[in-house]
Amino acid sequence: MAHRLKIISGALVAFVSAQAVVAQDAVTWWYESANPEQQAALTEFMIDKFNAKNPSDKLTIDYRGSELDKQLRVALLSGTGPDVVNTPGPSFVATMARAGQLMALDDIADEKGWNDRILPFFMDLGRFDGQLYALPKTYETLGLFYNKAVFKENGWTPPTTIPELNALADEMMAKGIVPFGSGNSGWRPANEWQVSIALNSIAGPDNVQKALTGQIPWTSQPFVEAINELDSWWDKGYFGPDYFSLNGEQVMANLAEGTAAMSPTGSWNFGLVPEYFNGRQDEVGFVGFPSGEGVPYPIFSLGIGSTFSISAAAQNPEGAAKVIDQVFSEEFYTDINNVWQGEWNMPLRDLSGVSLNEDVIPLYTESMAALASAVNENQYGYTTWTFMPPATNSYVVSGIEEVWLDILSTEDFLAEMDKIFQQELAEGKVADIPAR
Amino acid sequence: MYRLFAIPTLIINVSIILLPALLTVVLAFYRWDGISNPTFIGFENFEKLWGDRIFWKALKNNVIWTALFLTFPIAIGLIAASLLMLVRRGRTFFQVVYFLPMIIATVITARIWQGMIYNPQSGIVAMLNRYGYDVRDPLSQTSTALYGVAAADLWHWWGFMAVIFFAAMRQVSQEQIESARIEGANYFQLMRWVMIPAIMPTIALMMVMTVIWSFLVFDFIFIMTQGGPAFTSEVLSTMAYRKAFYELGVGYAAATALVISLFGLTAAFFYIRLQNREDAE
Repeated sequence: MAHRLKIISGALVAFVSAQAVVAQDAVTWWYESANPEQQAALTEFMIDKFNAKNPSDKLTIDYRGSELDKQLRVALLSGTGPDVVNTPGPSFVATMARAGQLMALDDIADEKGWNDRILPFFMDLGRFDGQLYALPKTYETLGLFYNKAVFKENGWTPPTTIPELNALADEMMAKGIVPFGSGNSGWRPANEWQVSIALNSIAGPDNVQKALTGQIPWTSQPFVEAINELDSWWDKGYFGPDYFSLNGEQVMANLAEGTAAMSPTGSWNFGLVPEYFNGRQDEVGFVGFPSGEGVPYPIFSLGIGSTFSISAAAQNPEGAAKVIDQVFSEEFYTDINNVWQGEWNMPLRDLSGVSLNEDVIPLYTESMAALASAVNENQYGYTTWTFMPPATNSYVVSGIEEVWLDILSTEDFLAEMDKIFQQELAEGKVADIPAR
Repeated sequence: MYRLFAIPTLIINVSIILLPALLTVVLAFYRWDGISNPTFIGFENFEKLWGDRIFWKALKNNVIWTALFLTFPIAIGLIAASLLMLVRRGRTFFQVVYFLPMIIATVITARIWQGMIYNPQSGIVAMLNRYGYDVRDPLSQTSTALYGVAAADLWHWWGFMAVIFFAAMRQVSQEQIESARIEGANYFQLMRWVMIPAIMPTIALMMVMTVIWSFLVFDFIFIMTQGGPAFTSEVLSTMAYRKAFYELGVGYAAATALVISLFGLTAAFFYIRLQNREDAE
């Protein structure tokens, strides 16, 4: 009996001391959704490399699915949740920062040299009340994908003005080709891509900025014209007969087949190009959406897919800072963009050291470079999901359907949108918009 | 002393059901975005609800949904249950077949209807179009969106009714059925005068539950149309969900939830009154 007890206690002591020797500080990170290949990429390029470089920390990534932001909200409210916080965008940062749920990152940014490594415009977007709370994980844009083969066959060139666009679309309709391949069945907020395009490329980003800062109402004439134009595209049938039935993958398939000639959508769709343009990557083109009168061409509306913050209740803030630091490195940019384009376009200042594999289509790198220079030249716009406060954004998604289906007039839609926006502006829910 | 046996369930009930329910009731009188502190605003949420045209659209859709589910599944369920009574061999097989749609996860059922049946490019609708029949995707039309989703949910639901009614019918005493048969009753007369009156308590219960569940309905609509296009398939619960989680208006969503509960409570009240009246007889 005593002998057995000694063995058990000896084993226990050995076990506990072994744990103490390899004691590591866990760093937790909740991510959204990723398919198995993507998860493997994150494990290889993020987790393994981080754990190797930082033996005293142990990173784990928890895949929470598309409801991540709601789970985060509940967790942060109760003082739990991950160390590395992936928020869905700057409009959420303002509310969370005000509620004291996020840690101010200014000191860490200075220490790690983030101010030099990341494009200043994007650093500004993560500031609230003068302090830095979030870094954008990826920046994306809206543009026009088009099928080069179909264009060549018909002698078409990508339009740069709205009248050119309308003429081209009419020609396409006459040939039975859908001008704007699109669908919101899989992602209802696809509606706001079209609204963002209309507001920025037709009303112009200067006007959008003025409205976002409360200087002019959303019922102003430029916006009425923009939404009326968007509505006319719907009425003319440019979006095809099956807008409410198709999901993003079907849209890409249609574009690749040539049943749709163009597709106004976002740069994240580069992730779908390898599958649907398999072997004929040179047949896909991506340009800025045509601009309205008085608006320079092209305007690339900026979207920030999600942001990085550190939770105020983080168990391991230093570890979280190191994780974020690793994300914003040329090495990680190269590694992850080789296998997973569109989601990890970190706004690094210097991409000269990045060279992607041959199987990543050059169009992607060219487009991202074009976007970066557009930002520098002030030819950027404001996507609704990044810059609008939550209730206004939600209304845009559903309300535009009412305009399209002639249930609501443009003026009524904009009036209701303005009402909701002004209330949220008064409640301090709008992120700080940098000056142009 | 024996009342102490109720304590474990009471604890679970209070902590998981009663407390959150009370919190929801309280929150309906506050404005809260789910992140910062709630502010008390009295009846403002209810006033806003009264003037919100989407609320009335959603309520109308809930009423339509209730009407659909109070009629079709119960009628088909009764017929199927009576047929199961007649069949001796293969009864288990048919019960399983009728019940199978209930077992499949709603997400999968919804996606199959959306992608493989209704879809104009990859579904049966596409096939019908190819053969020359002009069929549109019901989910994409404002006039049929709600009914399209309802069709999927009805397919999923009526088997449950059939199994419940069948279980109730088996409890009906054989003498009643036999004596009716001897007196020459045909199928309709048997159903009308013997079977349905005999299982009336079960039917009444199912109708009350249907009313409650119809005001709670969420998953099929959220997955298939998210309340669209243009709010034509919006119901109270999808509206509450959107308000709470996309628009950061938890108080407003709580007020909507209270309206949902109100209808359920009314139905439950009438049911209990019915039961008491029956017991008194």
